Amino acid sequence: MTAEQSQSEPAGAVAGPDEPRAAPAALEQDFDGGSLYALRAAVAAHAAAAGLPPARVYDVVAAAHELAANAVRHGAGRGRLRLLAGSAELACQVSDDGPATPAGNGPPPSMPDAPWPSEHGHGLWLVGQVADQLTVSRSPAGTTTATATFTLTPAIAGVSGGPPGQDPTEDALPAAGDR
Amino acid sequence: MAAGASAQVTELGVDDHACLTFGEPEELLDLTAAFVRDGLAGGLRVVWLSDEAPQAGVAELARRGVAVGSAVAAGQLDASGCEGRLLSGQSFRADAAVAWVSRQAAAAREAGFAGLRVAVDMSWALRPVTGIEELPRFEEDLAAALDGAAASVLCQYDRGRFDPVTLASVAGFHTRSVAAATYHADAVLRICRQYAPPGIRIAGEIDYQAEEPLALALAEAVRLDGDVVMNLEALMFADARCTAMIADAARTIAGSRVVRLRCAPGVAAGLDRLGVAGVPRVTVVTAGDR
Repeated sequence: MTAEQSQSEPAGAVAGPDEPRAAPAALEQDFDGGSLYALRAAVAAHAAAAGLPPARVYDVVAAAHELAANAVRHGAGRGRLRLLAGSAELACQVSDDGPATPAGNGPPPSMPDAPWPSEHGHGLWLVGQVADQLTVSRSPAGTTTATATFTLTPAIAGVSGGPPGQDPTEDALPAAGDR
Repeated sequence: MAAGASAQVTELGVDDHACLTFGEPEELLDLTAAFVRDGLAGGLRVVWLSDEAPQAGVAELARRGVAVGSAVAAGQLDASGCEGRLLSGQSFRADAAVAWVSRQAAAAREAGFAGLRVAVDMSWALRPVTGIEELPRFEEDLAAALDGAAASVLCQYDRGRFDPVTLASVAGFHTRSVAAATYHADAVLRICRQYAPPGIRIAGEIDYQAEEPLALALAEAVRLDGDVVMNLEALMFADARCTAMIADAARTIAGSRVVRLRCAPGVAAGLDRLGVAGVPRVTVVTAGDR
C-alpha cells in the first residue's frame, strides 16, 4: 500500500499516477452531509458493475464514504466524487474546495464529551488500509483531491492491503491525516 | 432513554395487561423472547399464541437463549395458534376468549405454577374474522378478568399493519404500553435495545452523523448485567468512526464479561481490522455472505 501526499501539484489538470489515464468517469456525483447515504448506494452499484467481489465493493464504499465525510466535516462541507473505471483499476476521487486543516490540529468537530470518543483521523487510516493506493493533492486554487485506487486484478482483488510481497504493516498510516 | 415506551418488557408485573407495539418481526421476536424467558424464570406457565408457525417460533426462542426444551417438556411453555383458543371456527367472541384466558390461569395455578403469562400476536385480527368488532370489548373485559388472577397478558400489535384508530381504541384498556427502547429510528438506521439475549441491535447503515444515539446505546449496553450481544446482522454499513466506537465498547465490556458481536461480513471486516476478534472474551460471529 502506498500513501502519498503532494500538496503542491495541481489536481485534475493532468492525470497523475493516481488517476487511470483516459478512464471514463463511471460516476460523478456531488455530495454533502445529507446525501452520503445516496452516495454510498451509487458507489456500491458502480463498484459492483466494475466487477469487484462483494468484500471489495464494501471496501470501495467505505473508502468513498470516509473521503466524502472528510470533505464534509473538515473541508468545504460538500464536494464531488468521481469514480474512474480503468481496465486494471478503479479510482475513487473526492475533491472539495474547503480549507485544509492539518491533521490532528484542534479538537474533534463534534461530541467533545462523547462517552465513546474515537480517534481523530481514523477515516483516512481506514482508506489507507482498504485501498491499494491513496494520494492526496492540493491545487494552488485550494481544491483538495483525495484519490483511493483499487486494483481490479483478480489476484489482488479481495485482499485488503498492499501488493503481494509488501509488509502490510508498512505505511499502515497514511501520510495525510484528516484535513 | 426509552423513547415512546412507558414500560420495558422486563418490567411487567404478575397481573399486567400490556399492549406491545412492534415495527418489525425481529423486534416482536426479541420482546416475546424476553417476556417468555422472564415468565419461565419466575415459575409461571407461559403461553404464546401466534398464527405464525408455532414450532418455528419456539426455535426462535431457543436461538435467543430461552431454555425452551425443558419448559415444553415440563408443560410450562406452550406455543400454539389462535384457532381453538381465542378463535373458534375463525370467529371471535370476546366473552369466549376472555373465558379461555381465565381457564388457562386457573389451570396454571392448579398445576402448581405461580401464575400465567400469555403473549398474543394480534395479527389474527387483521384477517376477515367474524366478530372482530368485539376486539375493544375483549381488551376491556380482559383487564377486569386479570385483576388479582396472577395472570398477565401481552397483546402484540404490529404498528405498521394496524390502523392508528384501532390501536388508539384498544390502548386505553391496557395497564401498560410496551415497546423496545429505541435510540434512533429513521428510514436508513435503527438502533434499539435488545432484550433476549440482552444487548443492542443496530440495523441499516450508520455513520458519524448518528454517533450521539450510538454512544448512548453503547453506554447503556456497557451498563447491562451479564454477557452482552451486539446484534449487527442487519447493519450493512458502518463507517470508521462508528466501527471504532463499537470496538471500544466491546473492549470495555470484555474487561469483565463476554461480548458477542453478530455481524454482516463488511462490518465484521471493519472490526477485525481494529483487532477486536483478538480481544479475550470477545467473539465476532459473521453471517454468511448474502
